[in-house]
Amino acid sequence: MKKLCLVFAVACAGFAQNQGKMPDGKPNFSGTYEWPKAMGGEQCRCSATIFDRKLFAPLKPGGEPFFEPHNGDPRHDEPRDFCMPAGFPSGMLSANAMQFFQTKDYLIMVHEFQRMTRVIPLDGRKHREDIEPSFYGDPVGHWEGDTLVIETTNFKRWGLDDYFYTDPNQYRMHSDALKTIEHIRWKDQKTLSYNLTIDDPKIFTAAWSQEFSIAAKPEWDAAGLYEYVCEENNRCPGGKCQGK
Amino acid sequence: MRRPFTFSLLLATLATLPTLQAHHSFAAEFDTSKPVKMTGVVTKVEWQNPHIWFYVDVKGDDGKVTNWGFSGGAPGQLMRRGIVKKVIQEGMTVTVEGFRSKDGSNNANGARVTFPDGRSVFTAGSEDRAPGDGKGK
Repeated sequence: MKKLCLVFAVACAGFAQNQGKMPDGKPNFSGTYEWPKAMGGEQCRCSATIFDRKLFAPLKPGGEPFFEPHNGDPRHDEPRDFCMPAGFPSGMLSANAMQFFQTKDYLIMVHEFQRMTRVIPLDGRKHREDIEPSFYGDPVGHWEGDTLVIETTNFKRWGLDDYFYTDPNQYRMHSDALKTIEHIRWKDQKTLSYNLTIDDPKIFTAAWSQEFSIAAKPEWDAAGLYEYVCEENNRCPGGKCQGK
Repeated sequence: MRRPFTFSLLLATLATLPTLQAHHSFAAEFDTSKPVKMTGVVTKVEWQNPHIWFYVDVKGDDGKVTNWGFSGGAPGQLMRRGIVKKVIQEGMTVTVEGFRSKDGSNNANGARVTFPDGRSVFTAGSEDRAPGDGKGK
């Protein structure tokens, strides 16, 4: 292996950085990545990844509405114009770099878009109780062999993905009953397999899943993530988009 | 040597639009039926989140100079494409393509910037659009 690394120094640097093991033998996902990308299916009229409607379970009869039409109120129709968070999973699928930091007890996911940060305990703890629902939910992780499984619950009702760029008149929503399950493992030397299950019994008749790929980008490590402070020069404060 | 200013406001509706992305709603702020292409001198650059803004003095056909504001991508998005702040500086002559603001102000998204030597950079946010890319619907 060392001889091969001398010949293919660049490739091996990526391998060493992105496929190392933790001291306890678990995969080490620390590194810099692209956002999750679908291998096909429905594409957004944007660079973000969106879910493929062909994979959705049927909508639950009498359930909460999946689509949320615009109502003319800018705060309702485009909350991100007011620096409201993208939430999970939408923010995770936004077209920006991500950096993961892993210890024995935590995986920290930092997304460049809105500096979304998810702190995922890996120490076997249960979900927190008696806390308010949130945009990013309450995640806990555990290992199933070399696959990290992250279960997230306790969401606010919020946009599911960036579908509204495809159809600017409405959002695809998830409910406050959403539970997501992520399965993360190395697929090859520079790619993570990222399987995301949407279990939302108020909207769908069954849970459904989509498989994504996450490309390791060790060449982005030197620059690192760039700052993203939405409030810095936002032009839509106070309910109305403004010019200069 | 400064090039003569040109100004053109193209009102043709585009049948095809590209797919790009940003934090704001492109559809809410910009009018895809009003593509613009203007040439002028950069007067100010705000290299800030969530979108860069740069301002260009554009001389109209009547000789009147109007200062236009253009919104681009987030600094981080642009830097990851290799577009750093010094690429667009005050005093530069640039041609900017984008779509005019819906509110009728002298603002537009600045999707593509072309310099006098022919170099062109894609400055839009990743959910914004540029005229004539032929992507999307």
